[in-house]
Amino acid sequence: MATNSLSLPTSKPAPRTWSFSLRWTEILQHAYIIFCCIIFVLPFIALFQYSLQKSSIISLNNVIANYSYVFGSFKDNLITSLQVSALAIIINFLISFPAAYAIVRYTFPGKRFLLSLLSLSLYVPAVVLGFGLVLTYNFGHIFIGSIWGLVFAMAVGTYPLMLTPLIVALKDLPPSFEEAALCLGASRWQTITRIVLPLIGQGIAAGVLLSFIIIFNEYLVTLFVVGTAPGLTTASLRVFNLVRTAGLLNTTAALAATMQIISFVVVLVFFRIIGTRYLKGTYLI
Amino acid sequence: MAEREVTATPFQIGTELPRARQSVFSTRTTTLALLLPALGVTVVFLLLPLAFLIFISLTKGRTFFSATTTFTLENYASIFTQFLPNLQESLLLALLATGVDLIFGFPFAYILIRKVRYRDWVRAFMIFPMFGALYLAFGMYFILLPNGMFAPFIQALNKNGIQIPIYGLQSVVFAMSIFTFPFMVMNIGAALSNVDPKLEEAARCLGAKNWQTFTRVILPLASPGILAGILMCFGWNVGAFAEPLLLGSVAEQRAMALTLYNRGIVLFDYGTSATMGVVLMVIAFSVTYFSLRYSRGALVE
Repeated sequence: MATNSLSLPTSKPAPRTWSFSLRWTEILQHAYIIFCCIIFVLPFIALFQYSLQKSSIISLNNVIANYSYVFGSFKDNLITSLQVSALAIIINFLISFPAAYAIVRYTFPGKRFLLSLLSLSLYVPAVVLGFGLVLTYNFGHIFIGSIWGLVFAMAVGTYPLMLTPLIVALKDLPPSFEEAALCLGASRWQTITRIVLPLIGQGIAAGVLLSFIIIFNEYLVTLFVVGTAPGLTTASLRVFNLVRTAGLLNTTAALAATMQIISFVVVLVFFRIIGTRYLKGTYLI
Repeated sequence: MAEREVTATPFQIGTELPRARQSVFSTRTTTLALLLPALGVTVVFLLLPLAFLIFISLTKGRTFFSATTTFTLENYASIFTQFLPNLQESLLLALLATGVDLIFGFPFAYILIRKVRYRDWVRAFMIFPMFGALYLAFGMYFILLPNGMFAPFIQALNKNGIQIPIYGLQSVVFAMSIFTFPFMVMNIGAALSNVDPKLEEAARCLGAKNWQTFTRVILPLASPGILAGILMCFGWNVGAFAEPLLLGSVAEQRAMALTLYNRGIVLFDYGTSATMGVVLMVIAFSVTYFSLRYSRGALVE
């Protein structure tokens, strides 16, 4: 007679599972991602490979020849690029920090409209901005042949990228810190320089990074604003001019590769040290 | 009672905390003063040039800087007659590039968000196209050269009768789509990561197959981000300058941004190029407006 035993079903030992599954769909997906990533980097690799050559021969002498050209003849352009970037970043910070502080700490009507207005310049095509600035500068006879015209053009194009991380960082900072400082007798200026600025340092760094990337590699607005003014050719404008006039040169490829390497190193260092928290709302995240 | 005791028990009756220093300005003045630098720079360097563009687009030719300024609307008429191929070319290039971005970017974003663990590495690779369209176009040029990287591949295709010319629509569209690919991926990725996985699991539990979950649950929920991505890519691609210039044949060199440059800076025909600038601006702004309005805040913080 069948025993009505409630015995546990005998189970086989659990099958050994691999730590990752090797189904062909997953391989295909990973392959697709890697394929797309390679396509992203492909123009850079092509440029880099070309910059290592001279007449299709890769040798150390050619590498040194090309890259010494970069640091010899293009040195002025690189220095101008860095100057423009530094000045524009400083101006960005000087105009964005008060605005971010006002937006976060004070209440006033029309904040959303103001934010859209202040983010407007990101959505204007570069040709339109460049051409408009050319007309304005010529009409007002201001900034003709001076580096400040270029600096302000870059600043107005990129200050929203400094504003957004600053707003995020200021929102993270509890107002009680400032209130405590004020209560303990600090002046407004001391509060800002000793309490607020150090604590939003990461947000400032995010803004600096984004602005630097865009300004360092910007050639279109530079093309319009600078044109052929002497002494103001930034490195990216130089690349553009050389490509248009001289065509394919190994040295031009070396300059372009150098600029991309500089930008990439800056971005990588930033991601390692600071992370991606303050890049929300901008294009990089 | 006269002394203020602030050390031992600050809340004892009869003592006061040291008074926080108040500003002599009212809050409204302070707010205005704080906003003034940003607003000032925006007005002088952004709004004023845009207003200039509109103003000059109503003048004729290069009369703006001369003594007699004649006002006319024929610049706008000429956009739709003489320069209509340019406008169409820009729109066509932008549409094609955005289409390519959507087709290839959506699977990329989906796989990136859902299935892949090495997201940070991919993000690092995605930074490269953003450095500038110039390097992309330049690099693409090198890739497609007869003695470039893809030489054996291209020669094999040539032997089979398929020609891949360097200059042409396909190179320009390819370069443009690589440039705006990260924007599309980020927008779609943000939208997809906001889709609650519980909803997906619920759908699966209730019996939906994979593709049903996809089309009925994920796609509608992610559609604001997808729309934002499409519109953002379109807005960026309309102003494409370097890719048509370096990689385009005669047809692509008619892109609006190039014509603006040629007419304005080279030929000094300010009226026409200001009109083109206004048209480009209107396209970019309307695209942005629709993306912000219908994507329900995918871009707005």
